[in-house]
Amino acid sequence: MKDLARLRTPVKESVELALNQQIQMEMVSSSKYLAMAGWCDRNGFDYSAGFFYKQSEEERGHAMKLFHYLCDQGATAISPEVPAVAQEFDTLRSVFEGALEQEIAVTDSINRIIAVCRRENDFATEELLRWYVKEQMEEEYIARRCLDLFDQIPADQIFELDKQLSKVTYDGNVFE
Amino acid sequence: MYTVSTRSTDWIEIFRTDKGVVYQCDATQRLILEFWDTYTALSARDFAQFRRMVETVDVRQMALSTDSAHDVEILTPPRSERCYVLTLCEIIHLRELLSGAQMMLELNSLLRECGCTLP
Repeated sequence: MKDLARLRTPVKESVELALNQQIQMEMVSSSKYLAMAGWCDRNGFDYSAGFFYKQSEEERGHAMKLFHYLCDQGATAISPEVPAVAQEFDTLRSVFEGALEQEIAVTDSINRIIAVCRRENDFATEELLRWYVKEQMEEEYIARRCLDLFDQIPADQIFELDKQLSKVTYDGNVFE
Repeated sequence: MYTVSTRSTDWIEIFRTDKGVVYQCDATQRLILEFWDTYTALSARDFAQFRRMVETVDVRQMALSTDSAHDVEILTPPRSERCYVLTLCEIIHLRELLSGAQMMLELNSLLRECGCTLP
């Protein structure tokens, strides 16, 4: 008797479900960052706006990477529903706090999917997710470093702060 | 689309309940759903998709709503001309049948991974 499920795809259903949930999470992140970019833009924080526009594109790229992976593996990738996200924020600091919280949630989610892959002996998907582990380490570093700048630069120099926030990068990837 | 009207002797019975049967046809690589005295042949992907469609029907709303629109659910398996108009009880019966079949397919995968093969 043929194993029709395996002939269709090497990706087990539990992994497929988890990856589709991750696609949705990445797209929600993209939407949140776009809202943050819009808020920064209309409040005169041009550099931070640019930072969040770029972040929004990156998150969409993360979702598409998973989407293409599922399609290439013969599994079913689902275009996700994206619920409404907050459009207004109290302060520039609260925007960056929200960004860090979002990155932590994504990191936790990636870790949970890797646990599912290990349970299912899905080494190919785990290999793909290693890229996300490194990416999340970088994303969390940048979000955390941005929040540090709020403590290091006086509040009356808000436009200097805006400029410095957009310059934060991570160049010390310990995996490379 | 692959259509069938009668049962073939080549089909392997995967799972059976009082209300229906799911067969596997190795020659065409299709799963055949016998429900309501009809046969619907589905690829493994379409079968999984249809099972998800049945699983995501809001049976709680069907049970509690007094609106006649919620008395039945209309489901069309992917790439099929079949259209099921199902009551709450029929949804539950179909879920039981499809879930049971899915479990048997997973068991077959496990056996294959262990190096065992079913005839």
